[in-house]
Amino acid sequence: MTAPGGRRGSRALAAALGERRVLVVCGAGGVGKTTTAAALALQAALEGRHVLVCTIDPARRLATSLGLAALGGRPRPLDLSPLGPRGHGALWAMMLDTRRTFDALVERHAPGETARRRILDNRFYRQVSSALAGSHEYMAMEKLLELSADDRFDLVVLDTPPTRHALDFLEAPERLMGFLDTSVLRWFLKPYFVAGRLTLKVATRTGAFALDLADRVLGLQFLQDLSEFFLAFEGMYAGFKQRAEKVHALLRGEDSGFVLVAGPARTTLDEALYFYRRLREKDMPFVGLVVNRVHPDPLAEAGPVPRGAAGVDAALARALLRLMEDQARVARRERRGIARLEDEVSEPLVLVPELEADVHDLRGLKEVGELLLSGGRSPSRRRRPSQLQAQGRG
Amino acid sequence: MLLDDLLSRRLLVLSGKGGTGKSVVGTALAIAARGRGKRVLLVEVDAPLEAPRYLGAPRTGGREAEVRPGLFTVNLDPAAVMDEYVRRVVRVDVLARRILDSPVYRRFFAAAPGLPELMMLGKIMVFEEARAARFSSRPRYDLILVDAPSTGHGISFLKVPLAASRAAPAGPVGHNARRILALLQDPQRTALVIVAAPEEMAVVEAQELHRAALEELGMRPRALVLNQCHEARFSREQEADILRLAADAAAGRLARGVGLPAALAAARRHVRRRKLTQFYQGRLRRVLPLPMASLPYLFDEDIGPSSIERLARRIEAA
Repeated sequence: MTAPGGRRGSRALAAALGERRVLVVCGAGGVGKTTTAAALALQAALEGRHVLVCTIDPARRLATSLGLAALGGRPRPLDLSPLGPRGHGALWAMMLDTRRTFDALVERHAPGETARRRILDNRFYRQVSSALAGSHEYMAMEKLLELSADDRFDLVVLDTPPTRHALDFLEAPERLMGFLDTSVLRWFLKPYFVAGRLTLKVATRTGAFALDLADRVLGLQFLQDLSEFFLAFEGMYAGFKQRAEKVHALLRGEDSGFVLVAGPARTTLDEALYFYRRLREKDMPFVGLVVNRVHPDPLAEAGPVPRGAAGVDAALARALLRLMEDQARVARRERRGIARLEDEVSEPLVLVPELEADVHDLRGLKEVGELLLSGGRSPSRRRRPSQLQAQGRG
Repeated sequence: MLLDDLLSRRLLVLSGKGGTGKSVVGTALAIAARGRGKRVLLVEVDAPLEAPRYLGAPRTGGREAEVRPGLFTVNLDPAAVMDEYVRRVVRVDVLARRILDSPVYRRFFAAAPGLPELMMLGKIMVFEEARAARFSSRPRYDLILVDAPSTGHGISFLKVPLAASRAAPAGPVGHNARRILALLQDPQRTALVIVAAPEEMAVVEAQELHRAALEELGMRPRALVLNQCHEARFSREQEADILRLAADAAAGRLARGVGLPAALAAARRHVRRRKLTQFYQGRLRRVLPLPMASLPYLFDEDIGPSSIERLARRIEAA
């Protein structure tokens, strides 16, 4: 049943697991992104690489997938011995702690104790650095840079943060660079924000005018707090900008790769296609597209039909047939969506069938990984029901 | 019952794990509310507009569109909402344009964590306050349904007004944040609806969302919708027969082109899902003190208006 297309897609995944240093796994929520990331990381580790899988999801899904109550903010080695690893591979798992990453960044870059305290005590900083929507992307970026330079790991698999659009993560370096690069920052660092002298000593009329508007839109007190926040980081901006540029380059380098994950529902397939086009536009290294939880079509994959009537009563037979028709309808619905995606994506998709059980331990992850690397299945190439009927008669 | 309680609120916020069908559930809830004569606005947050598609209506933009009589949908684009806010506050068109065209404004807005979320929640508050006509005391919408981001992001999304009110004790940002917070935390006006599916991780996230809502957001969860339920379609005896036949590797032909082994494999998949559904229904009833509506898994060739209406009737009956 394995289709050549699926095998080619799997070969691309396997090659990436063997060679690349950073794999970023992206996709909409609820498509098995975290599980896919963990399963790929585990496969690479079983093949002898030293792998870290990092998740950013505050809902702690990877922790569940790995059978751990909670992952800490530091890489934690997992025991792979029950799975019989080849070679000396190892797998670490961690969860991004936005607040701690932010604090560590400040510790590293602050020029002195006074500057450090000034930031950590800033009212603004305390809100922004904790789990505020939007901070996750920046810190994921920061962490990725740090981990990719950690020589304990030769592969980092990053499960991307939950975002309105998964693209928020990809574009985080550019957004930050845009912010640090222009007059935005200068505007906030102008002396007229210095506490207490706000509206009085504005150098130019234009400045006064801009301030008046800003007051109406956001409020001067707010802007003043913001300005203090930005001032507290003075002297660190060059470092931030440099790091944003580094991540930007890292994500485009040949050592990195993006794996897109989708579910078989139309919404998530559409989202994957959108993401794929953006990756291509931005010239980012695309590795493969995985469609998880594809439902089987009981009418199309039955194999040869046995001779002789089945010994079941008519009511049960009718109920069974109705169920098969229902399941076949779902499979057709999914197949149509997948076929549309196949027309657009130049590389073959890897289709993973709906699994018999929930994946929530290493053994389950290993099975998922094996499926991912062995071609999955390709329902679009299955025999049609009509062919089956002909066979059944013969 | 469940619907009566929900319809006595003004604002329903839906969240839950990604992939549990929040948009489908939101659209079905909107149809059910419409069926009770409510004027409904369904708000999607910076997402492709699913609701009009499920209802067979053409895709609409960032403005409220009436997709059925008395049923409106809107998709909030954070940048557009921010621009609108600037225009309203500044009033003078030339001045507003100067702000909107400035790269400082654009880049600040794109890079500022939390600001887009605050703006979208502010817009939802504006919808809640909108009157049917000038000088009218009747609200423009009886019920506003928000298809919020899924659990993890949804919690940080809903946390933004709290963070903003702490970060900005004075001024318009803090003031608006506190007004939004007052709306979200008012148990008379606002309810959180948790959407789940009968799967381990979706159930774990439902519990997590329930906890975070009460402890961190100060919001009241009022209902749980368990979507994608596999309902019993065989009698107890039939299920026993299926398992026995499968164990015996029974063969034979069921119908033209259909073998019994394939049918039994399909049936066993169903029975497993059906049991999981029951298991998670039981667990959710035990751990979450919320009225629950179970909605069936959809086997339709296309998820369209008739599928949504079927779900709406189930919500009505819950």
